[in-house]
Formats: sequence, C-alpha cells, structure tokens
Amino acid sequence: MIKNLQSAVTMAALQDAALYYADYATDRSPDDGDHVVPHELRHFLARLRLLHGVPFSYLVPDAKLLPIESIRFFYIDRAWTDALTQGALSVGTVSTADRTQLESVYPHIRQEVDETERYIRRPPAEELLKDGSGTLTGFILRSRAVSGWPNLHVRAYSVDKLEDDELTNLAESAPERMKVLRIERLAPAVLFVIFDGVPAVVHIEEPRQGIQFGVRLDPEDPVAGSHRAKVRIRDNNTSLPVPPKKDYTDENSVDVPFRPGAPGVLNVTALRDRLQAMPKANKNPMAPNEFALQMLRFPFRQVFGDPDNTVGLQHYNLDKFIATVALPDWKDTVIKGLKETGP
Amino acid sequence: MPTLGHFVLHSQFKPSLTAGFYELKSEQVDLPFPVAPEITHIHVQAPRFVMPTEQILSSFPPANAEGAFGDRLPQIVLKRRTLPWERNPAGGGDVNPAGTPWLALVVVAEGEAELSGATPVAECVTAGTVLHQPADKDVEQGVHLAVTESVVKKIFPTVDDLPLLTHVREVDIDDTELVGGDDDGWLAVVLANRLPVFDVAGGKPVRYMACLVNVEGQLAALPPKVPAFDNVFTWELAQDWRVLSTLQTSGHVDAAAMGQLAINPNLLPAAQAAANLPRAVNVAGAAAGPKTVAQQSLDGAGAMRQPPVADQWRSTTAKVAQAALEPEAKRLVRSTMGLGFQLPISKYAFEKVLRFPVLAHWSFTTSEGATFETLMQNLDVGLLGTLPPPPKAKAGKPAPPPQPEDLPEVVATGHIGLSHRVRRGDALRAWYRGPCVPFATARDGADSSKPLPLAHAADQLRRVIPDGREDVTLAAAFEIGRLLALSQLSIVSALLRFRAEQFGAGRVREILGRLVPFPLPKGLANAGPLSVDLGRYVAVQVVDVLAKNTDRMLGPRRPIADPGREIEVGGEIDRLIASGLGLDYDGLMKRSAEFGLVATLSRTAATVSGTVGGGAFGELEQMALADALTSELNRTLSVAVPPAATRPRARGAAIAQAERDALDELLDQAPPDDDEEAEA
Repeated sequence: MIKNLQSAVTMAALQDAALYYADYATDRSPDDGDHVVPHELRHFLARLRLLHGVPFSYLVPDAKLLPIESIRFFYIDRAWTDALTQGALSVGTVSTADRTQLESVYPHIRQEVDETERYIRRPPAEELLKDGSGTLTGFILRSRAVSGWPNLHVRAYSVDKLEDDELTNLAESAPERMKVLRIERLAPAVLFVIFDGVPAVVHIEEPRQGIQFGVRLDPEDPVAGSHRAKVRIRDNNTSLPVPPKKDYTDENSVDVPFRPGAPGVLNVTALRDRLQAMPKANKNPMAPNEFALQMLRFPFRQVFGDPDNTVGLQHYNLDKFIATVALPDWKDTVIKGLKETGP
Repeated sequence: MPTLGHFVLHSQFKPSLTAGFYELKSEQVDLPFPVAPEITHIHVQAPRFVMPTEQILSSFPPANAEGAFGDRLPQIVLKRRTLPWERNPAGGGDVNPAGTPWLALVVVAEGEAELSGATPVAECVTAGTVLHQPADKDVEQGVHLAVTESVVKKIFPTVDDLPLLTHVREVDIDDTELVGGDDDGWLAVVLANRLPVFDVAGGKPVRYMACLVNVEGQLAALPPKVPAFDNVFTWELAQDWRVLSTLQTSGHVDAAAMGQLAINPNLLPAAQAAANLPRAVNVAGAAAGPKTVAQQSLDGAGAMRQPPVADQWRSTTAKVAQAALEPEAKRLVRSTMGLGFQLPISKYAFEKVLRFPVLAHWSFTTSEGATFETLMQNLDVGLLGTLPPPPKAKAGKPAPPPQPEDLPEVVATGHIGLSHRVRRGDALRAWYRGPCVPFATARDGADSSKPLPLAHAADQLRRVIPDGREDVTLAAAFEIGRLLALSQLSIVSALLRFRAEQFGAGRVREILGRLVPFPLPKGLANAGPLSVDLGRYVAVQVVDVLAKNTDRMLGPRRPIADPGREIEVGGEIDRLIASGLGLDYDGLMKRSAEFGLVATLSRTAATVSGTVGGGAFGELEQMALADALTSELNRTLSVAVPPAATRPRARGAAIAQAERDALDELLDQAPPDDDEEAEA
C-alpha cells in the first residue's frame, strides 16, 4: 500500500515530519487564534497599515494642508498602505527563491493583516470584530482643543439618527457605530483618528470627568479681554433645559452677575435672585440643591455631519408610507400599465 | 437609592449634634435616698484643621492639572454628607439654624494670598477669633491662608452665599467601585464662587489654588452682602504680591524692616510705608469699582508693572510631578503645590491680614482662554487637500490679492507637487499623495478582482502620469515601510524566522507529497477551526493505514500473557528437592545410611519461614492478611474488568467527531494497560 514505508522507523519520522509541518505552518496566538503569519509580524504590519510610526510629513506633506485650528477629514488610500506593507515585507528578500515564496504567501498575509487591523485598538469589554475591514476614513484635528482638553471623546456613526445632544451608550461594535481603529495624539495639539468605515456623522465631545458646575462664557467678549457669562435655565420640575436648545435667549438663560472689582467672583446671591425670577426655574426661595441644578454643566458635544439633516430624516418615519390608493385600484393600474407596455 | 444613571440633589443634611465636647448627665429623682448623678463625657469628633484624605472623594479641576477651566466652578466632593454642617460657623454648640456651612472653597490666584507652612492650630485663625471649644482640635499643627482684608472682601463668599455653594448629592453607586464598601452614595459638595479664568489681556496662563477653608468664628470678616453687580468683568489679580517672591534672594525680612529693601520700592506697597506715608488702605475704593492703573495704591489693588514671576507656572507643575515620584510624595506634593503661594504677605501688608485654617488645598493652572465650544465652532472644516481659507478682507479695504506662490501645488485628486531631484541630478517636480486622500480610492487599481502585483522594490511602483511628471506616491510608501521594518531589529528577525519556517514547512510538504500516495490538500490558512491542517491530516491517514495493516507495518501482536521463564533443571532429583526445601542433602544421606531414610527424615526439622507467635493466630495478623488479600483482589479485578477505559485524547474537534476507524477498533481489542511498570 505504501511502498516506501517499510519500517516503523521511517513511519515515525514521517509522523514527526507531519506534526512539525503543522507547527511550522500555523502560528497559534492566544489573543486572536491560529494564523499563518506570526503574531509579532502580523501586529507590526497591521500597526503599519494604521500608519503607526509613519513620519508625519508623509501623512501631510505640507503644513498648509493642515492650518492652525482646522479639522481635515480623509479616506485612507489602501493602495498606499499596501505599498507600505510590501516595503516592510521586502526586507531580507535576497534571492529569487525568497521572492517567489513571498509572492505565494502574500495573499495570506494581506488577508490576515486586514483582519488584524481591527485587533490593534481593542478597548476591554468591546466585542472582537472578525473579518477584514473595508474602506477606512478618519480625520486630523489640529486645534488648541486637543491640547487643552486631553482625552476628547470621539464617536462616529454610520447613520445620523441620534439627536445632537442625546445621550447614548452604544458599544463600538454596535452596527450603527463605527469602530475607532486608531486614536492618537501625534503632537500635543494634533489628534489623528481612523474609523472603520465611512461615517455619516462624527461627534467630538468634551471629556467627561465627573459632574461639573459652571457657566457658559460668552464667546464674543464685549470688550477685548473681558468676560461675560450666561447660565441656561433648567426646568425645575423636569430638570431638562428650557428650549430653544440651540440658542441663549432671554427666556432660557440669565446673565451671570459678578462682584464689582473682583475678577471672576460670582455674586452668588444676586445670581440666585435672577434665577428665581425666571418663570421656569421659579421656586421661591431657591434652595441650594435647586441652585446646584441650575449650575450643572454638561460636556459640550460638537457634531460633524450634514447640517441640513435634522433628527431621524435618514430613517423615514413610518407614517410617511401610509397607502393613499386602495389596493384594487393599485392592482388595476399595474395590470393596465403592463398590458400597455407589454407585447 | 436613585435609579441607575441618575442622582438626587439635596440642599443640606444637618447632623443632630455638632462636633465638640458634651457632658451626659443622668440623675435619678424621687428616691428616698440621694443618688449621685452619673456624668459621662462624650467627644463628637469632626475634622477642624485638616481634612483627612479618606474624606475627600474628588476635586475639580484635578490637582496640578493644566487646561481650560475658565467656565467651570472648582469643587470638592466630601464623603460624609453631614460634614459641612457638623460645626456652627457662627459659634456655639448648636447646629446652625440657617444651614450655613462652616466650610468654604476659596480660589486664589498666584500672588493674591499666602499659604503658610505648618503652624500651631491656635495661630491658624485671625488673632482674636473666638472658637467654640478651642480644645477640640483634630491636629496640633495646621496650614492657614493669610489674606489681606481687601482680598477677603473681593473673593471670599458672603455669608448668604455659603449655603448656596454647598449641597448634598445622592448618587447610585451600584455600577461603581464604591459598591460593597462603607459608602452609601451620599456625598457633600462644596463649590467655589470664582471662575478660574485665563488672563486674556496678558495672554498668560494663571495658576490658581483652591483652598477648603474653615470660616468658623469669622463670619463677620466675610464680605457683606453686595447688592451691586456687573455683568462683565476683566481679569486681574485681586492684589498682586508676586513681587515678594523675589525676596528670597534679595534680602531678609529684617532688611525690609530697616528700610533696606533690595527690591524696587515702586513695586511694593510697603515702599510707601517705608517712606512714612500715611497708610493708604483704600479698601472701599478698591472694592467699589474701576480704578486708574496709573495710580499705584498701597493695598496692591492695581496690577503691578513688573516681570511676572508667575511665568514659571510650567516649572511648578513639573516640580509637582517630580515630587510625586519621591518616597515622601504625600507630604511633598502638597507643599510643592503651595509654591508661589508662600509669599510673606503678612509681614509686608499694611492692612489687617486675616487667617483662615486650610483643611485641604490643591493648585491647578488655567492655560487656555477659549472655551471648547468656541474652539470647535470656529474650526476650519474640510477634506484633506483643502487649502486654508484666504485671509479675510478687512472692513473698508479691498480683498488682498491671492498669493499663489505661498500655497502648495495641490490638485483635486489630493496630489501635491513637490520638488524632486532625480537620480541623474535633474531638478524636477514630482507628484506625491499621502495615505490620507480626499475621496475613496480603489484598493487594487481598476480591476478589483485581481490585486496589484506584489512589488519587490520601490522602483516597481514609480509611475509616470500623462502630464509627464512622475508620481512617486507608492514608491515613497514602499520605501518608508521598508525603512520602518529595518529600523526594528526584532521585526527583521521575525521576518527572517517566518521565512525560514515557511521554507522548512515547504520542504516537509514536498517530502510528504512524494511519500504518501494521495494528493495533499491545499492548506487553507484562514478557514478557522474547520481548516484542513495538512500535518494532522497526514498523521490521521497514516495512523489509519497502520492500524489496518498491523502485521505488515508493526509486526505481530504481543500475546496477552507472557509464558514464564523456563526453569533449568539438572542433576539428581533428590538433591534438587532437598535444596529446594533447604535441607542438607549430603548430611541427610550420611545419617540415612545409619538410621534408615524415613527415620532420618522424621528426625530432621523442616525450615519454617517466620514464626507465628505462640502458635495462636493473632488479630493483627488476621487483619493484615485480609487487607493484603483485598488489595490483591482489587488489583486483579481492575485488570480483568477495567473501569471506563481512557482513550488517547483526540487532538482536534474534527478528529473527535470522525467516524470509528480501524485505529479505534484496534484500540478496543487491545488489552488494558497493565501496571507492569508500576510493579517493576
């Protein structure tokens, strides 16, 4: 049956060889399973794909492309990152045999590195997303907001149906949310983010470090160097902000009184009196806890998306599809139309 | 308990008793004989001069932080909900009826106040302050804040402000690390009354220190209710004593007292006093409103024109970070954060200096004037490749002409023209585009079904586009990838090892392909657990063949029982038996010649191994024999009727589920493992 196998010794050698082959050809990683490419190499290539370590001048060749206080969105050119990986793989290919081997194994490498890209940044408690990722996008933010507010929250969604100030606890692996493949401060004021897909809307949020109290400083100073501030009213019964949401009007906010001659010191009792006079916050006298409720400040969220898209417009409400033609009529129309156009 | 993700705000939470010494006197009356009253002394303890660290849950802004805190009120969160009301700031042992807390969070900028070193607690309050039960002190030495009266009037909260700035928060702790401990989710929060704003006019970061002070007995010193207010304020120091920080090198306090101050007298309020001018304490004027900058008033109400020492804020932050690494970090960090606040104001000020005990203090720096909102709203948004917007035309002037030479040569595809010196030395311009492009690109060129061929050298990726210029995009990417891999020795060796292993695997496969009579399947690397592992496949096939043809491949099977060793029997049978019984054959023969064989045998004692004590069969011996018998029986039984035979563990799910093959049958037929080795 097996001609060349005459002795048990040959047999054992063959068996050993088969086992060694299995060991040679697979890399067993405790993190993400068996692969052809060794763990270390695979992760290095995936990090390279996400442009870790690539000099910044290769990403943005001219400083004018990234002016001060700007955000620039982009797509990742996969051909570029493939060329990057090929360059890394070309190290040490001396002979023709080396290159032939690389050519035969390269499809495997490419496929596995596609998959590993998603393992590189994996917050604990996040589900692992299998399979390779498609188009990558991202943005570079160059702003004092990056240096002044470390640990910005960045979230991207594939559909824009969340209200701009709505709270959410969607996981990164949720289908509506885009996974962040890389988020890193390349410089104190430069934030580099790569998303796994093409987002419809991106949220950048002030870091949330505990509940804070404060005021809203007027962005337009009345006189250069001076400050003016407002407090937005919350409804005393529901604790929700008084509409309109987007604007600070006389109905939903009060000016903050400051102690004369004392820089930045709030005239707390005067502020209390002003708040008390507002109809929605009306509660006489205002207790310390009600005062605290009015002074609550939540993190600001900047939304990047289609400004014309108001909430939920991409998900049409069901009532827009109410049938307005009776079914028999509709059927008649179709049959008639088919008869006219048909043979 | 509030629901998950919610919290409840309460105004205050007054304790039944304030801290202090109490005497509990119990008397019994209406007895026919007198009974001495029982007197018990109780000490209700609460922090007074130092806040124990375990009572502080958090503070905002974080200690030693740098950032934009200008629109947030600093706060400190205390773990015991009754803490702010455990003493009566107005004095006396009762709970303050108005709910005025005895704690206030005061924010001072660098140069406005003096933070002392460790001082006996009696000196931590303004001289003349009457404390309720001064013997009730939690520590012997404390820290105090020394501030001039005018600064107190400017930045301290009023008596009416105090209750508004303190509240109790009830939070849900079920999903936090606090659950399971002593914490009940009730927290007391003390807010500051001052916004730590950025110095916009000076464009400088400002270092602030937040101090949790004890206002007990000093409510009268707090500013009176201020009816006037402004809607606008300009940042400045309430008083500028920063010049005092240069004193350390220039002289001694004595020198100043002798009028030999080594600093510029124009800078220091004390200089006017040294010139015997009347004390121009102008508290009311300073508090009332704007003042002319030209006039330098004695109390330091105006900003001093002098090089700001506070410019060294960054180094102080670094010093604190350094101190945190020291073994004595707990003490050092606090004292280092006090740097810049330890000006000897009380020695130079010519107005009354008030002292407030500081229970906790931390410093932070407001290093950013704009708010997050304004920064984000004013961002220039665009896709990469968008050039900066042209400078805005100033009102009344025509728009400046665009200056094309300043802007890089960018085209709609995202390519940028760069000067390129080719290998022959010609200076040309080439196109380059980074990995970040303004539109979605095809990964594999026009034909997406077939990937681009693998490049082995950067030159393979150089392209010349129709306008005649070279596009070095991919070539540059290839080269930087190559350099990045080469820059890490471990990656280079990993690549070489990987390649060697692949070659080794290829050789094994080649040999196997020649040896086995069936075509080897192609390895699918990424098919997950169902992937055909070639090695395992070959092993299973080979073992199967082996099992079917055991005679040819492995030789005949070993019989179940081995025959015993053949005993060599030689010589006289009688002698043999005698030696077997341990008898002396020759002696026996000699005597039998004399007496006859039977008589001789009957006279010879047989050798008996061991002695059975007293002829009686003891209980111990019986037990030992029974045990030996049982164990021997068990062993024999376990050999004859094996318990569930353990199979060799299959190496993969695929094999475990495979159908029974020749190997399994062979294994079933095989006798169970004997304990031969264990016996031997």
